[in-house]
Amino acid sequence: MLRYAVKRFGMVLGTAIVISSVTFLLIHALAGNPFSCQRNPAACLHEAKVYGLDQSLLVQYRTFVWNLVHLNLGYSYVNQGVKVTPLLVREARNSLTLGLFALAVTIVVGLAVGITAAIRQNSWLDYALSSFVVFGYSLPSFVLATMLIIAMGVLLPNWTGLIGWGSPNQIPLPAIALGLPYAAVVARLTRASVLDVIHQDYVRTAWAKGLSSRVIVMRHILRNALIPVVTIGGPLVTGLITGSVVIEAIFGIPGLGKEFVDSILTRDYGIVVGLYTFYALLVGLANLAVDLIYPLLDPTIRYT
Amino acid sequence: MSLIQPGVRREGEDQLEAAGMLMAPAQATLWGDAWSRFRRNKLALVGTAVFTLVVITAIVSAFWTPYSLYAEGLGNLTSKFSWQHPFGFDDLGRDELSFVMVGAQIAIEVGVLTAIVSSLVGVTIGLLAGYFRGWVDTVVSSVTYLGYGMPGLLVAFLILFLTNSPSILNIIIAISVTSWMDMARLVRGQTFSLRERDFIEAARASGTKDLVIMARHILPNALGPIIVQGTFLIPQAILFEAFLSYLGLGLPSPDASWGALISNGLQDRFEAYHTIIIPGMALLVTLMAVNFIGDGLRDALDPKRGR
Repeated sequence: MLRYAVKRFGMVLGTAIVISSVTFLLIHALAGNPFSCQRNPAACLHEAKVYGLDQSLLVQYRTFVWNLVHLNLGYSYVNQGVKVTPLLVREARNSLTLGLFALAVTIVVGLAVGITAAIRQNSWLDYALSSFVVFGYSLPSFVLATMLIIAMGVLLPNWTGLIGWGSPNQIPLPAIALGLPYAAVVARLTRASVLDVIHQDYVRTAWAKGLSSRVIVMRHILRNALIPVVTIGGPLVTGLITGSVVIEAIFGIPGLGKEFVDSILTRDYGIVVGLYTFYALLVGLANLAVDLIYPLLDPTIRYT
Repeated sequence: MSLIQPGVRREGEDQLEAAGMLMAPAQATLWGDAWSRFRRNKLALVGTAVFTLVVITAIVSAFWTPYSLYAEGLGNLTSKFSWQHPFGFDDLGRDELSFVMVGAQIAIEVGVLTAIVSSLVGVTIGLLAGYFRGWVDTVVSSVTYLGYGMPGLLVAFLILFLTNSPSILNIIIAISVTSWMDMARLVRGQTFSLRERDFIEAARASGTKDLVIMARHILPNALGPIIVQGTFLIPQAILFEAFLSYLGLGLPSPDASWGALISNGLQDRFEAYHTIIIPGMALLVTLMAVNFIGDGLRDALDPKRGR
């Protein structure tokens, strides 16, 4: 188990280095000089020298990798003197807070809806919930976010306090907008997987023994039904990252997603490369975590 | 050539069929079966109807919109809706309905073309990897492993960033680069199991070329899941395009997609909501319709799954 974990961790690091190298090489080979050289050639040359852009691509890349393994992602190209690594770490804290709350929304709503729909299979409640599920995963998070903002504007007089970042009452709105669309995905999977388990013999035995329905649902059905649900943990994190890009831009949250949009639009190469590295690590670690949790839930799975 | 071909017709059968003399039992084919199952699924039918409507709107908007996209000052953002302008006006007093119609055109173009491009790429790569295995498979698997290490939208972002000029073609390429992988994985898996079957071995024993085996024997048998997966690529591509233009990386004005319209409307939110809600609803309804079609196709083509 430990050997497996170490090996997988190595693969995560390797993937991150490859992705970050590809991003770096593509940007530096294709996107051209980020500084405008027409207006002030001397300043442009100076800037290029400061960022090492006057050297050959190979030399630049060697420096980049050397810095990367020392966890140094270089400097921002737009805000001079700003180091990328500490900036991203600071912003990652905001994104992580938002992401965890959104994940809570996803899991709680998704499981509740999925389990209810499965237990009441083919009732009107099941149909209503199943329609809600398709509605949910067709609803882009940015549309939901915009609608939520409008709804708040109509319903609450002091709604502006809910948009922004820094105080706890500003968390729920973006967390719902980010988490709810993925709750639909979780609900769908949970319903199918609970339906698989619910008709098995050992569940019938449990009913026949006269156990209370709460015990049967919690202990007999859920424990087995949740195993396939855990597998989407990886894609879920990928989805939350994608969603956070838009949600943070809408709600003005100073996190990685907002930084991503800003740095692309202002062509801040240093931060763009840094962010891709960061995201590659994040996705890799999330997938690794899921694979390590899996055998804890399902004793038939063993890694060697 | 193999001696027994399932599709070969006996002599005279065509004439019999033309005369309406072949009876129903002989025609209980896989596709006929699937169609009758699909027809019973009401949500899928509603989805098909809505999607057809969107496609017709898209085609019409390519030739005609009620008002020109450049005609400004026809009314006010806060004007009441009327029969002449059923969706009101945007912030420059242009007809909102015309913009929503052009939005449908962009959504359908991007959605359908991306689904076709990434399906073609995915199917080809998946077939090759699954059929030849060995180093081909190793390369494909490594590339998809790397691809899954990065959220697709961010890769599309990077490609648009590098090309530096948003056009329909660039957007389609950017989204396709990230969405062929699911299809490739699916087809690779299907090919893995199909190539071990007896009829493939028979084809190989009779000297059929690899390409012919892939195209004539493996591909038709994997077509069901491919169609389902391909259908789900359409809403995904529409959604990605909306994301991109919402964030300002979409097509330049006035070719505004629904995402760009919503993002534009957000600036008017203190005066009017319809410039957000109408394109938002158009996007939502279209995505739901295609998702219903996809669900219906899946249930129809793979009766053993689900329910």
